[in-house]
Amino acid sequence: MTTPPSTKTFTPARPIWCAGCGDFAVQGVLEKSLNKMGIPPHKLMFLAGIGCAGTIQNNLKCYGYHSLHGRVLPAAIGAKLANPDLTVIAAGGDGDGFAIGAGHLVHTFKSNPSFTYIVMNNGNYGLTKGQASPTSPIGYHDNAESGLDSMLLGLSFLSATFLARGFSGNPEQLGRLMEAAIEHTESGKGFAFLEVLSPCVTYYDTHREWRARVYNVDEDESFDPTNRAGAFQKIIELMEQGHIPIGRIFKGEHISLESILLNKEEPAPAQQKIGHNEHRKHYDKFISSHLG
Amino acid sequence: MTSNNSQPVLEDVSVIVAGQGGDGSLTVVTMLADLFRNSGLNVYTERDVLSRIRGGHAAATMRAFTGERYCIGSHIDILVALDQEAVEKNAHQLNPNSIVIFDDSGGPLPSGLLLEGTKLYAAPFNRIAMRTMRRELYKNSIAFGIVGRLLGLEDEAMRRTFTKRFQRRGQIILDYNLEALELGLHLADEMGIKAGEGIYRIEHTDPEEHLLIMGNESIAFGFMVAGGRFFTGYPITPSTEVLETLQKWLPRCGGVARQTEDELAGINMAIGAALTGVRTMTATSGPGFSLMQEGIGHAGSAEVPLVIVDCQRSGPSTGMPTKPEQSDLNIMVFGGHGDYPRIVLTPGHPDDCFYLAVDATNLADKYQCPVFIAMDQALSQNIATVKPFKLDEVTVEPGKRLNEEEVAKLDTYKRYEFTEDGVSSFTVPGTPGGMSLVTGNEHDEFGLVSTDPANRIKMMDKRFRKIEEAKKELPKGRHFGDPDAPIGFIGIGMMYGVILEAMEELEEQGFNTQYLQPRTIWPMLDDVLEFIDRCDRVYVVDLNAQGQLAHLLMHQGADSNKIISILRYDGLPYRPGYLVNQILEQEEKLINGKKKEAKAQ
Repeated sequence: MTTPPSTKTFTPARPIWCAGCGDFAVQGVLEKSLNKMGIPPHKLMFLAGIGCAGTIQNNLKCYGYHSLHGRVLPAAIGAKLANPDLTVIAAGGDGDGFAIGAGHLVHTFKSNPSFTYIVMNNGNYGLTKGQASPTSPIGYHDNAESGLDSMLLGLSFLSATFLARGFSGNPEQLGRLMEAAIEHTESGKGFAFLEVLSPCVTYYDTHREWRARVYNVDEDESFDPTNRAGAFQKIIELMEQGHIPIGRIFKGEHISLESILLNKEEPAPAQQKIGHNEHRKHYDKFISSHLG
Repeated sequence: MTSNNSQPVLEDVSVIVAGQGGDGSLTVVTMLADLFRNSGLNVYTERDVLSRIRGGHAAATMRAFTGERYCIGSHIDILVALDQEAVEKNAHQLNPNSIVIFDDSGGPLPSGLLLEGTKLYAAPFNRIAMRTMRRELYKNSIAFGIVGRLLGLEDEAMRRTFTKRFQRRGQIILDYNLEALELGLHLADEMGIKAGEGIYRIEHTDPEEHLLIMGNESIAFGFMVAGGRFFTGYPITPSTEVLETLQKWLPRCGGVARQTEDELAGINMAIGAALTGVRTMTATSGPGFSLMQEGIGHAGSAEVPLVIVDCQRSGPSTGMPTKPEQSDLNIMVFGGHGDYPRIVLTPGHPDDCFYLAVDATNLADKYQCPVFIAMDQALSQNIATVKPFKLDEVTVEPGKRLNEEEVAKLDTYKRYEFTEDGVSSFTVPGTPGGMSLVTGNEHDEFGLVSTDPANRIKMMDKRFRKIEEAKKELPKGRHFGDPDAPIGFIGIGMMYGVILEAMEELEEQGFNTQYLQPRTIWPMLDDVLEFIDRCDRVYVVDLNAQGQLAHLLMHQGADSNKIISILRYDGLPYRPGYLVNQILEQEEKLINGKKKEAKAQ
């Protein structure tokens, strides 16, 4: 049997990142993980925000969507709720996720929808030439504000179910975390939050500094990622010692948003046939509820 | 019920119930509306409240009538005043021979507030409620007994409506309210208003059952019937009922209606859902609509089908949240950064809301662009009778969506392919072989980011061709009156009913008029401009300070010499009589102007 000639679609773009950018590693690990997990390209909906990291969807062969700055999370929630059979992955940078989109991150932790969110954290706004970002430390340029830590933020939600931080300089671990994150969402357990330390070679080259400072909790046998309070205490201590904790920070259980909102007796919103008359009885009921 | 043929048949009666917010004026009016609807009459109700839970003057009005009316009329027949302020605020709209039911718990009504012919029934409802039930809350139910009797409603029918209204709130609340109603009926007896001896005789004229529904509910239902299965929204007056209605009904049909953390999430979650092919809508009001602008423009550029309901309220900024206005026309038609195609529909009554919501949902899918439904507070929240919607006539027209087999037949699939009508075929995530890129960046046919000048022009022109194509099928306006009349009216939304009734009053005064209710204001359709051409002069009634609709018409080529702007932005409910006076004033100016001209010659 001959395979039918496949339809030509878009040719993925070549990355626009600077040579040596941490985002290359993220894309490489991501492609490898998806391949390994056997997620077909047509099932993957990949959404990205605005910024250097927010161009990654152009480089992948799948259903790609480029959202507005800071709005990738609500868009991803909409997609997942409408069609829960899709593998939904959202990605963006630290400015996109922790500054302009911070409100949505809070509510995504709160509502626990089953998709993966990869934040490529480079500690500055690379695309606009190096301004301080929410994760820039005191002393970066004129920045006098303390940097935001997304693991601590995530841990403050009783509804958080997956928190991890990887490092582009440690692709093997990043691959394990990436697969665990996608697996978490594929099995409908909720929101998988994966921050990746991804140095910016042009404006804030932290590669050596971060390599020296990272502390891998996955290699610490005393660290229990299912103990929320313990994890919180441990990573605060590590940060006070000047470390950046990486690894699987937390795994918990909480009902997912789609299992709350979707009617299990019916096909999901995007899987319904448009124009069928199957719900006529509900329409008639609506009408009679407005009659005398 | 004893029948008394000396009573006139009820043809048109208006009752206003007024007091402080929380006094239950709206409850009384809603129950009266239900009773009259059940008696085969048509009704229209209106609320005039403040944006707070308790306190501040609040009024609700109900009009019951035979035939066709789509607004509250110019005069009120019965005022139920729960305090003195209610009389002071509303006496001016009373008929010469009206009836006032007054709660004199706070003291007798000072003389001079009412016209001589007014009949006054006073009783201390508040004090009776406190004395008997220890809750002033029930004073409106006491008053109900009196107004119900006066209107010729049967005691038993009133009890039935009370039961229907209050039983879902628990037996105790129901019992108290029924007890209060009995107190009211007893008071009516004492006042000499016996059962069956009201001022009207109600004749069951219309055998057809009517729905009692507000515009927001009709919009929600139209969307649902047109296959809409995803809705997001953030509570904001006066749009919230769209969200609430869909939260109740969409899940039953397998849909999702979600309250988001803000309007930014509302619009972007809607976009994310729409990308998967589900028919999607969001609803908001001015402040939320402003927040959504970036997302709406994005949907225009990325060609995401979306219905956006704007329940306009008095602006700018927080403005007067519970008051009607039509001052978002500019932002609907011209808002957002950059140029993108859009469609703006303008229903005029709850039944129109249903049919235009169906159209909007179909159009969005077909033309892959934002489609706005321009509402206003009155159209959104005023409850009226409508004929049962014709579900069998609803057609659901799918967009150019490709399935797996259709994609496989193509050599090349381009999400943003240049086509003659500007509409490109699309696949949704999950379709094998149809992978695509969707972006708000300018892009080539594949969706890859592009700043190529030639591509830019072609892509921009392609998007705008969709609107030229859509023009052929966009909802045309509805025409009323004599097509040869010299005086024309143009008005949208809540002005529909007001203009129709003003035309009647003007006709009685010798003015022959015609009216076009545009149902699409963007793109502006030829029928509206032709209508203006046909008239000597056209009164464009704008519920805003700058004449946004008039400007839009002139911008689209209407003869500015023919357009006379009628503006209103005080937030008060519009009465036909008010409009008639505005027109008479203008007509007088025209006559005086002509006289002066003649003299000068």
